[in-house]
This record gives sequence, structure tokens and C-alpha cells, in this order.
Amino acid sequence: MDIKELTSLETSGKKTIQELTIAGIIFVFFIIPWIIPSFRVMDVLAKIMIFTIAVASFDLLLGYTGILSFAHGMFFGIGAYSIALILYHSDTPSGYHIFLAAGASIAISVVISLMISFFSLRVKAIFFAMLTLALAEFAHILGVQWSDLTGGADGISFTLPGIFNFGQTLGTLFNTQINGRLMVYYFILVIAVFLFTGMLRFIHSPLGRVLKAIRENEQRTIALGYKTFRYQTCSIVFSACIASLSGILFAMWLCYVNPDSVFHTAIMVNILLMVLIGGMGTLYGSLIGAGFFIVTENWLPGLLKSIAGLASDSVILANMADRWQLYFGILFVLVVIFFPKGVIGTFRVILDRRHQLHSS
Amino acid sequence: MKTDTLKFQTRNRPFQQYAGWIIGIGLFLLPLIQMDLTTYLTLTVAGISLGMLIFLIASGLTLIFGLMDVLNLAHAAFFAFGAYAGFTVLNLLNNAGWIDTASLAQSLFYLALALGAAGLAGGGLGILTEKIVIKRVYGNHLMQLLVTVGVSFVIVELLKMIWGVNDEVVPVPMGFQDAFIIFGVFIEYFRVVAIFLGITIFAILQYILKQTKLGIIVRAGVENQEIVKATGYNISWIFTLVFAAGSALAAIGGTMMAIFNQAVDPGMGNQFLIFALIVVIIGGLGSVTGSFVGAVIVGLSFNYVAFLWPKMALGVNFMIMAIILLIRPKGLFGKD
Repeated sequence: MDIKELTSLETSGKKTIQELTIAGIIFVFFIIPWIIPSFRVMDVLAKIMIFTIAVASFDLLLGYTGILSFAHGMFFGIGAYSIALILYHSDTPSGYHIFLAAGASIAISVVISLMISFFSLRVKAIFFAMLTLALAEFAHILGVQWSDLTGGADGISFTLPGIFNFGQTLGTLFNTQINGRLMVYYFILVIAVFLFTGMLRFIHSPLGRVLKAIRENEQRTIALGYKTFRYQTCSIVFSACIASLSGILFAMWLCYVNPDSVFHTAIMVNILLMVLIGGMGTLYGSLIGAGFFIVTENWLPGLLKSIAGLASDSVILANMADRWQLYFGILFVLVVIFFPKGVIGTFRVILDRRHQLHSS
Repeated sequence: MKTDTLKFQTRNRPFQQYAGWIIGIGLFLLPLIQMDLTTYLTLTVAGISLGMLIFLIASGLTLIFGLMDVLNLAHAAFFAFGAYAGFTVLNLLNNAGWIDTASLAQSLFYLALALGAAGLAGGGLGILTEKIVIKRVYGNHLMQLLVTVGVSFVIVELLKMIWGVNDEVVPVPMGFQDAFIIFGVFIEYFRVVAIFLGITIFAILQYILKQTKLGIIVRAGVENQEIVKATGYNISWIFTLVFAAGSALAAIGGTMMAIFNQAVDPGMGNQFLIFALIVVIIGGLGSVTGSFVGAVIVGLSFNYVAFLWPKMALGVNFMIMAIILLIRPKGLFGKD
């Protein structure tokens, strides 16, 4: 935001540490399936990667452009459904179908996001939120009711082509089976790193800096001669495309889509919570947010149930354990009110303060 | 008051003012090409009553936004909460065996009980929400949107915790299951009640906003809390009460919709939120008249299209919204 941060980002010492951290994280994601050969761990890691991308692309909008869009989950769903439909309807699924799905979902996302920004961006940010919320609900209803295309509430399950086919085993290496699922895992890793780097490039590009300027003070940016509408549209379209690509990864990992798993508002709320935990306007925060959320989501219900199991007679306690999402909701509200900068944001504030103390 | 007179002065172009109405009414006669008059009238009555139910939801949303400048995305959750509150009252009455034998007058009384309970429960929840959460985020739209999404999530989860995740059948008082016939048009009593309630609430809101000082005080409070406090009004409680009133409206709408559909489920809020949002966008954010007109438009067009091409119904509402946004980006009655 201010010059200090920009210059501090460019200090080389910090940059090497950053690069090392990133390399370390990628290495951890790379190596863990070999160290801990548990499907559950791999599942959690894959979902963390997928949602990191979805959350980061959402953060491009919310944190870097200051636009709250509820249609982001919809683009996620569009990606997921485009690959599901293409693979489901093709008789012999092959590798190029994945690229076809990527192309199709990007095309649809571009058209829809252009329409959204055209209709609502000229008016008011709050309008944008409302319109996209209505649209997201519409997408969910469409997913359920247009059963000829989407298979209705039952959803679509499909098989992946070639080396990604889950049933296939290519051999074993260091006691780990190399099967289709592992290949999909690495595919997700590669694509996620690629997309994340793309987003980093995007926010550090001149375009990204203009977006930050719009977030800080739109009137002033207009006065400086920037056509803010165009820049905002750019960021909406770009983030919608990334979201739909992450939707493709999600569908590939599950090999199954249904309206509730990709179009439901709850997905959107989850993504929002992940952004908030990590910190708005910090792309790295999306990894922390997604990591925290997915890990908790996987182990919290079991934990709560075992706590409730201690007092097995209490129906209320069992109910309370059953509705573990409630605690996410409460956490959500608390984070927004008391912790609006998220983990990375707060960390940066502390660093800044320390920096100021040292320099003075 | 002053802004109203100003508006009329700038709007002294009678033809343009009425052209919209004429075109609009003409559009609503259009379905007559495809259906006979009786069907059309039946659908119209049904559409207006659906519109009134939607208005109940949208009015609370627009009231809170128009006065307090808060877009309450938890509105759908208040709506669902109200539906469950009304459902509980009706269930209790049903367990006492009073629902199945109710005459029309008794049915109205039971409805009033259910609506009263829903209104109180919704209002109470509104007070809690405002005091605990909303009051911390006045003036920051983004925070408001985020925090109300969170609140909505919490309330819906609480609903699931208390009443379970499944659909429940709502016992409808016997008197409302009857209908009467005028000119061959089949009209259920409940639809008449819905229309009456909608118009009453519209009138009350208009009276409060236009004829009392409340509207001015609240709007002044949004601009500058300190000054309003200095004039002797307890602005924070006024804010709380406005928020509670909006929530109570949502809850009343929830109970009405629960009886209308004869079912409640925890996710019902989101299904109708989409209607409320379309209505508020069409009518213009913060305008109660706009919500009223928008709700009638949405209710009517939904019913006509649902009769002619069932799968298109919601899509047509979106198209109407898009067209209106193209012509008037701030909605029909939005402030320029």
C-alpha cells in the first residue's frame, strides 16, 4: 500500500527468504505423499492446494481490488461442471479433453464475468455484492433444476483419462504405489504452482498496482487519469478464470460434482473465511487460510464427536458436536470484527511496528 | 420532506413519468395472448399475493439499508428463523387439536399468534445481532457484508441444531384451506390475507418514513451520530430498533411463506433471498415504494412465466432485472 511496503518487498534479503519459503512449501507438498502414505493426508493436501488457488483468486478481487463478489463460487462450479460434463459425455476420454474443459470454462467465465461487471460495476460496490449473490443462488438452483444437463441434485461422476485414471497402477517406487490418484495429485501441484505464480505476477504488474490504488482511493485514481472501470473489469475476469480453473482441479480430484458441492453458498462462505483468516490483500495468506480451514474441517468433526462421546447421554451436546460448521460461522464473525487483517496482515503490522522502533 | 418536494420539481415531465407506467401495465397484459381471461386473473391474484410475500422479505432488507445504510445479508437467516418460530407456534396449536377445526376467524387469530411470535422472535434476534455484531461495523460496507454473511451462517446452523436438518410440514389452519370464487376465479383465503398484510405493512412503513421524524433522525444518525445524540435522541437504541423492525419483518415474511408453502427447511432463506435481492435491485436500494412495485413485478412475472414455460420462471426474473438495470442503473425508484 505505501511506499515503504513496496520498497521493503524489493529488498533482496527478504526476497530470498520468501523464495526459500515458497520452495520449501512446494517441496513439502511434493514429498509428503511419499513420507506419509495415507489417503486422508493426501486428500487434505490436495484440497489445500486447490482451495489456495480459489482463495487467492478471490483475494485478487476482495483484497487487491476491494470488490466483494459472491459469484466466485459460481465460477468455481462452472469449472468443475465443464470438466465433468465434457468427460462424462465423451466416449473415450483422453488428455485433450482436460484442455478442452479448461478452454470452455475460461470462455464461459470470461463472458459471464464481463456481463456481471458491465451490469453492476458502474453503479456501486454494494450493488455488485447483491447482484453476484443473486446470480450465485441462481446458479445453484440452475444446477439442481436443469437436470437434463447437470444431472440434478444427484450430480455427475466421471472417470479421468489416461494416466490420471484412478483405477490404474503404473508401478511402485519406494514402497509407494504410483497410481492415477498420485498423478492427479502432482498434476494439481504443478498447476497450482503455475497459477499461483501467475497471480503473483499479476499483482506485482503495473496493472496490479493500479488495482491497489483503486482499492485505496477510487476517486483519486480516477483523478489521476485511470479508467478504473477497465482495470476492475480486468481483475474480475482474471480472477473468474483462475477460479474456474481451480474448479476443474477440484472436480478432477473428486471425480464427482453435484450442485451442493460446488455451487452452494456455503462454498462461498468457506472461501470467504479462508481469505479472512489468511488476511485480505495477501496472496500468501490464502495458503494459511486454506490450510487452516481444510485441516480443521477434516479433523474438527471427529474431535467434537469424541468430546460429545464422553457424555454420551446428552442429546444437546451431540447436536452441538454435529453442527461443527457453527463454530466456523462464529469464528468467521469474530475474525471480521476483531482480526480483520488476518494472520499475514497482522504479522506484517507487527513487523512494520518493529521496523519503525528500530529505525527511530 | 424537503427531498420529496425537490423530487417532484425535477420530475415535471408528465409524459415520461407516465410512459413507464403505461408500458409496464401493457407488458403485464401481454400474457393474455397465450391464455384465457379466467386463468389470467387466477394467475394475477396468485402473483400479487406471492409478490406481497416477497415484499415482506424485501421491505425489511430495504428498510435497514435505506435508513441505516447497512446491507444485511443475514436477512435470509432471519426469514428462516421467523418461519421456524411461526411453525413452532402452529405446531403447538396443532398438538392441541385446534388447527384442523379452525373456522376462518379462528384461523386468522392463530395466524396472528404465529405472526406475533415470529415477529417478536425475529425482533429479539435482531436486537441481539445489532447489539453484539452490527453496531461495530457501521459505516464500513465491506465489513458489514462480511459480518452479516457470517451471522447468517451462524443462525442457519443454529436452526439446524434446534429443529434438525430435514424439511418439516407446516400445519395450515383449516380456515385457510378454503377458497371462494368470483367471476369463475378461484381465490384462496390465504392469498387475500397475504395481499392485505402486504398492503398494510407497506402503508405503515410509508407512514412512519414520510409522516414521522424517525426517518430523518435515523438518516441524520448515519451522517453524524454525535450531533443527533446532542439533540437528545438515543441514537444507538433507535438504530437497534430499526434493525429489529427489519428483522421482525423478515420473520413475519418467513412465517407467511412457511404457511404458503406448507413447509419449512433450514435452507429456505436462501431460496427466497434471491427473490428479495432481485426485488430490491429492481426497485432501487433503500426505497420502500420501489420494493413494493418490484415485488409485484417479480410475483406477477414469476407466476405468468411459470404457467407458460415452467422452467423459465426464475430466468425471466433475471432478464427483467437486467433490462431494468440497463435502463435505470439504480433501479426504478433508486435515488440518483
